[in-house]
Amino acid sequence: MKNKIKELRNKLNITQEELAKKAKVRRETIIFLEQNKYNPSLQLAHDVAEALGTTIDKLFLF
Amino acid sequence: MTNKQYKKIRLIITIIIVIIFIQSVFLDNYIIPVITLITASLILLLLRRKVKDIISDERDMALGGKSAILAIQVYSWVAVIAMLILYASRNINPSYEPICITLAYSTCLLMFIYYIIFRFYNKEIFSKNKKKYIISVIILVVLIAFFSLRFFSGEDNWVCKEGQWIKHGNPDFSVPTVPCK
Repeated sequence: MKNKIKELRNKLNITQEELAKKAKVRRETIIFLEQNKYNPSLQLAHDVAEALGTTIDKLFLF
Repeated sequence: MTNKQYKKIRLIITIIIVIIFIQSVFLDNYIIPVITLITASLILLLLRRKVKDIISDERDMALGGKSAILAIQVYSWVAVIAMLILYASRNINPSYEPICITLAYSTCLLMFIYYIIFRFYNKEIFSKNKKKYIISVIILVVLIAFFSLRFFSGEDNWVCKEGQWIKHGNPDFSVPTVPCK
């Protein structure tokens, strides 16, 4: 499952660490998400989308 | 406290525990490691609460679950194979038999604990019978502990008396090969 996390994060000019804090996960998880190496739970997908000011369907490409 | 600092302290505490354990074995003292282990666990528990960063998230939990299943499978296979080999060789060295029993019981216990925890997370945690399940597990554990104590109580064992091994009850294994002091 592909996503636009890195693209949106760069647009908002926030670091992986900051996004991780907002989504309440470790930085490594954000790295794995950006590299499409980890499929998040619905809760995490929602938290990341919220932290980036968007919605799940716009952030993740199904 | 940051996650890095916590991990550094945890590593130092682990090294200290290992050193104390080795020294305790040499000193033939088994109370010190137990006290050390309890103290270290309490210290780590208190320090963990002071960590502001996220120590583990859902990815860690998922990886932990997969790793735990694999570890159980690997251990079970290795223990069963080792047990069969040692049991077949028990005529060469009778001391292999207690090792076989330990391996067999530890494998069974591991699988039993896994089954109880899996069942709890799978179904019971969401049901109304949560209390009943916990109570029945406690009763089962007490019963197993009682029979285990009976098994390891030394009722059927070889007792060292005045430099000689004396049969006490009806031990399953032959006279120990280690010198009786």
